[in-house]
Amino acid sequence: MRFPTFVLKNVIRRRVRSSLTVIGMAVAVGAVVALVGISSGFERSFMAVYQKQKVDILVQQKGVKQRLTGVLDVKLGEQIAKIPGVKQVNSGLVDFTGLEELGSATGVLVQGWEPDSPLMKALQVLPPGRLLAESDSKGVLLGERLATSLDRKVGDKLTMLGDETYTVVGIFHSPTVYENGSMVVLLRDLQRFMGREGQVSGFAVVVEHPDKSGEIRRIIKDIEALGKNLEATPTAEFVNSTTEIQIVRAIAWVTSAVALVIGAVGMLNTMVMSVFERTREIGILRAIGWGRWRVVRMILMESILLSITGGAVGTLGAIGLTRLLAQHPAVAGLVDPAVAPTVIVQGFVIALCVGLLGAAYPAYRGAQLLPTEALRHE
Amino acid sequence: MNSNEGYDANLFRTEHVSKLYPDGQVHAVEDVSISIRRGEYVAIMGPSGSGKSTLLNLLGALDKPTSGEVFFDGQPLSKCRNTDRLRVEKFGFVFQSFHLLPILTAVENVQVPMFEGRLTAPDRVKKARELLAMVGMSHRSNHLPQKLSVGERQRVAIARSLANDPIALLADEPTGNLDSVSAEGVFDLFAHLHHELGMTIVLITHDEEFGRRAQRTIHMQDGRVKSDVFSERRRVRTPLPPFAV
Ligand SMILES: Nc1ncnc2c1ncn2[C@@H]1O[C@H](COP(=O)(O)OP(=O)(O)O)[C@@H](O)[C@H]1O
Ligand SMILES: [Mg+2]
Repeated sequence: MRFPTFVLKNVIRRRVRSSLTVIGMAVAVGAVVALVGISSGFERSFMAVYQKQKVDILVQQKGVKQRLTGVLDVKLGEQIAKIPGVKQVNSGLVDFTGLEELGSATGVLVQGWEPDSPLMKALQVLPPGRLLAESDSKGVLLGERLATSLDRKVGDKLTMLGDETYTVVGIFHSPTVYENGSMVVLLRDLQRFMGREGQVSGFAVVVEHPDKSGEIRRIIKDIEALGKNLEATPTAEFVNSTTEIQIVRAIAWVTSAVALVIGAVGMLNTMVMSVFERTREIGILRAIGWGRWRVVRMILMESILLSITGGAVGTLGAIGLTRLLAQHPAVAGLVDPAVAPTVIVQGFVIALCVGLLGAAYPAYRGAQLLPTEALRHE
Repeated sequence: MNSNEGYDANLFRTEHVSKLYPDGQVHAVEDVSISIRRGEYVAIMGPSGSGKSTLLNLLGALDKPTSGEVFFDGQPLSKCRNTDRLRVEKFGFVFQSFHLLPILTAVENVQVPMFEGRLTAPDRVKKARELLAMVGMSHRSNHLPQKLSVGERQRVAIARSLANDPIALLADEPTGNLDSVSAEGVFDLFAHLHHELGMTIVLITHDEEFGRRAQRTIHMQDGRVKSDVFSERRRVRTPLPPFAV
């Protein structure tokens, strides 16, 4: 029998103890992977909404970082368009609406866009649908997930709370779950429906030569000169400065930190207990001639084995759980069903480190123990 | 007396050895000076709590004396840097409650001390089977300890104690948990190891009759040696030095 074989037998034949240790590790690792995965996935999809668009400058009301609450006059767009170097200006309105079948509690994100907006063009519509055209009054594009949870296909009708019926013109796929759960209508439809005629949330500005140095900065200056209440931000910067993104980041960070601490304490506890239980056995091994170093090696090898198994079980469980959660209507469109590989690797590394750490102390103690003391230990 | 140069006929020697456990006021062992020769078969006897186990643990380098010195093969143990190594190479331990690993079969249990030795994995298996054959346990080599009778368990434990070809066998009440028939068998085994292989055996027993089978009985009381009797007058066979160190 080889030494690793001995270690393996030790783990496999103690089925109950090993299973309990693995379960303890798995729960802790699973919690970390699921929570970190969900929150980082959430952050990712949120970021992607903004980054994807081929827009150079976003214009909105000053001091209001929330796209949803800012209100600007639609006429401002014409003035921005006159600034030299500006290629195109599009207005957009963002709001939440209720849907008949979802009840008033659940709001769905609605974007009101112009048909020629780069935002609209960036949408990836699945066949047989198409993008909204100028003539598509009361037409709606549904995010893939929203379409699934509402069970709508192209050509179906959809009634908003407030009694307007729209026809599904297309279903779009977005790489971001956040957008996949939203819908798009024509700007004029949304303005009328929300009673916000003449109002927009902001302008998307496309610049003629965005790569020319200083060009974007100059145009931003010109735009902000148009009115005191205007704030123009390059899209790249806008993404990072939004309160929503910052909140999402903070939540993701806090959730992950809490998950890590709880997980680590759980793993540590599991490992320490599983070694302390064996004081007597360590005494026997020492008495029949094992050196300290071999005892340490046995404990560390076992704990690596148990940690890796626990890590694998926990990660698989977490992936399954996330998939399941992502399907739940309450969070559909917000939870990314795919856990990032980095998160999985992270979970494994944590399991291994904590497993080793949790075994190191009892291994050290076991090695220090006099065989006679350990043997007296019942 | 000693005809061989650089070779101490006394395998074990204690000089005024005392052991005081930190939590107890009484000396578990007090001022004990004994010598045990190579190839000797010694039984330590005495009432419970008289310090027998403590003395045996001191001899076997499982424990350190509070004062005095234990010598093994002429070397003071207090100067020995690696007593683990010494234990694994020179001593075999047998315990009252066997201390077999419950999750390992007999043949696997016997191999456990061999991890510290130099044998390859297949040789370990071969050797373990040979040792099991010697203690009459070949037919049970793939059984877990719980499937064995207590007598069989102790035989496996004795086979394990021989795993690294020790010079001395130290046994603390090896038959304390056995019925008389099994105990008889175990003592026959010790006699065999002593007579045929020339092993030095130090064992603790409560049984007067079994005690008399040893060449020498040391009686202890209150941590001291009360009497030290050679029951057999015949000359102690001194085997050749088994290990050139
Ligand atoms: N680890 C220990 N800590 C404290 N006291 C001990 C310890 N081991 C033994 N003793 C005490 O030392 C004395 C001798 O014990 P021991 O050597 O086990 O006797 P025996 O084996 O003859 O029954 C007893 O009084 C016992 O209680
Ligand atoms: Mg005792």
